[in-house]
Amino acid sequence: MLVLKLLQSLFKALHSEGTPGQLAAGLALGSILGLTPLWNLHNAVVFALIIVLNVSFAGAMLGWALFVPMGFLLDPAFDWIGRTLLLDTPALRPLWTALYNAPVVPLTSFNNTIVLGSLVVAAVLWVPLFFASRWGVVRYRATVAERVKRSALYRSVVASKLYNLYRLFRPEA
Amino acid sequence: MRVAVFRWKAVVPLLVLGAVALGLWLVFADRIARRTAESVGTTLIGAEVEIERLHLDLPHGRVEIHGLTVASPFEALENLLQADALVADLEPLPLLEKKLVIDRLTATGLKFGTPRLTDGRTLKDSPSVAGGRSDGVMGQVTRWGEQLQVPALALPTGKISAARLDPAELTTPRGAAALGARADSARQAWDSQLKGLDVAATADSARRMVERLRGAKATDVKLLGDARRTLGQLKQAQDRVTALERSATSGIAALQAGAAGLTDAKQRDYATARGLLKLPGLDAPDIGAALFGPAAVGRFQRALYWVELGRRYMPPGLLPRATPGPRRARRAGATVRFPRANGDPAFLLKTAELSVQLGAGGTTPRTYAASVSGVTSDPALYGRPATASATAPGFRLGALLDHVRPTPRDTATASLAGVALPPLSLPSLPIRLEPGSGTVALSLAVQGDEVRARWAMQSDRVRWTRDSSGAATLSPTGDLVWRVVSGIPTLAVSASLTGSLARPHLAVSSNLDRALAARLRAVAGAELAVAERRVRAQVDSLVDGQVAPVLAKVTALGGDVTRRLGGERTHLDDARKALEQRLRALTGFLLERE
Repeated sequence: MLVLKLLQSLFKALHSEGTPGQLAAGLALGSILGLTPLWNLHNAVVFALIIVLNVSFAGAMLGWALFVPMGFLLDPAFDWIGRTLLLDTPALRPLWTALYNAPVVPLTSFNNTIVLGSLVVAAVLWVPLFFASRWGVVRYRATVAERVKRSALYRSVVASKLYNLYRLFRPEA
Repeated sequence: MRVAVFRWKAVVPLLVLGAVALGLWLVFADRIARRTAESVGTTLIGAEVEIERLHLDLPHGRVEIHGLTVASPFEALENLLQADALVADLEPLPLLEKKLVIDRLTATGLKFGTPRLTDGRTLKDSPSVAGGRSDGVMGQVTRWGEQLQVPALALPTGKISAARLDPAELTTPRGAAALGARADSARQAWDSQLKGLDVAATADSARRMVERLRGAKATDVKLLGDARRTLGQLKQAQDRVTALERSATSGIAALQAGAAGLTDAKQRDYATARGLLKLPGLDAPDIGAALFGPAAVGRFQRALYWVELGRRYMPPGLLPRATPGPRRARRAGATVRFPRANGDPAFLLKTAELSVQLGAGGTTPRTYAASVSGVTSDPALYGRPATASATAPGFRLGALLDHVRPTPRDTATASLAGVALPPLSLPSLPIRLEPGSGTVALSLAVQGDEVRARWAMQSDRVRWTRDSSGAATLSPTGDLVWRVVSGIPTLAVSASLTGSLARPHLAVSSNLDRALAARLRAVAGAELAVAERRVRAQVDSLVDGQVAPVLAKVTALGGDVTRRLGGERTHLDDARKALEQRLRALTGFLLERE
């Protein structure tokens, strides 16, 4: 089921009416959901951005699905980065102290090593991921997109009920 | 073609989604808060924390908890506490900073030590669970308890064992060999000297002179001169025999002293062999520590566990502190707190009023009032120590955790009278002590790394029960201890702990110690005599075979030398006597002159 959803996301994103930039932006925003622990306040903001901004929702779901396993795999690295920033960098201590004692900010759990480490990595990766995925979408559409569109697999995926839900949030040209 | 930045048609669904999320949160907030409280409490205590119902009343800044159960981190099927209801008045603004400041907490129906059906310990390295280890507080306390030397009750159980006796360690055989060599050497010397005296030739010469003097005249000056020389030779020979006798007497006395020294060496060998016996420690303090040491260590471990938890979660100072992050599918990581001067602590319980139910088994529980104040995660921010107190007839509790200054100072004292004391099993013995109703007291002071603690238990009507199952039933030790303790109706145990936390010293005493020690000494004394006879016989078998011939040799040598020297002297005396008589007969005058 997970694989099917992933395929649906992939096909719908790649063959949507959205521009490569919308698709890439959605995928990059979705990667934040995947890389960082999901149930955090910052992810609510990211999710709201995915919905409100004119980016590919399917791309965001694809990015989320693709980066969840990476998040699990990279947790030790996130932990190390978070520890380094929170505990081993005295220059940043005033910033953390101010944020920790500010209203609402602590609710983001920024002071957790995994949350901070993964969020920093996701933020740093966002721009390169955006450009790389935009280039990839352009290349895909120029080369194999038409052949895939004619395949039986594509037609069956597009015909599924989830596609109708997707259409609600498809990018506006 | 210009692409719009915003997807305006999705705003309404987003708002709807937000409203739904808010609605869901309102519906499930109590459940989420309950699970969070359970999770945090479980992590903090090291045992399951269960809450039947939790209600968040945020408009009034109030949280109500019903049916709180906290499992014991030490005992598998026991609760640390249960509470019927807790009502906390919160300060709302700190909640925006993810801080919990409780102005006032009231708890009713608090009960301690109630039974439970399942093991609620989350740290399986509890002191009572073998094998487990962790770097957490429980692991630290477990390792700390293990370093306390509690002697085992190693009593003489029918036999006292002895290490193998090495003949090379005995001094008597070496002394006997040396004495035998000395005796042989002396015999050779004396034989040689006796031969050198040539007493027979001198005596024969004197006898021949006597014969020559028969029929001689007093005017035969030459003969008389020869006779005088012979007499002189006789006197010289007698002097040499006298000197040899003196030397032999002294030598024989030395050999006899050596023989007597063998007796002393044998006594020393007995002592050496006795030193190989493995005798039990029969001092009363050892017995007290062996019987009640584990129980005392258990009490001190529990007290120290709470002190260490307090130090971990209520540390002094304002430095950033990392604690384990929340449990989730992803890694928990570490959550770091950054306290700031004049800010709110992450957690603060200003005051708590507790209604505690305590009572002896089977009797109606009595309700006591207790209060707690100043419990905070950042004592340096709050600026006052945490305190707890409770006073009631027969019950007194006072505790102060002062982590405001850099060196933490924790003190606690509690005493409880007229309550059912928990039963104790004597270590490695099939004997169980049921103290019944009595008094128990515990005091603890930990300043920095220095600890001073005392645990005392007293009961006037103890009941001893014997465990009829298991192989230990047949143990003579168990029988012996049972015979002694079963007749003692009272119990007074006192244990003290002093020194540094790294190198603590435990001392335990009880009223059973002296009675048990006296009885054990009597039993051990008989066994000791048997064991000593056994090792003496072993020494005798190794020593006597070598000592007896040497003693016989010394004795025989003394007699032989004395006899031979006596015989030589007799010969010389007889010869001199005969020669002097003959000469006197010839020249009485001349001899008189000499």
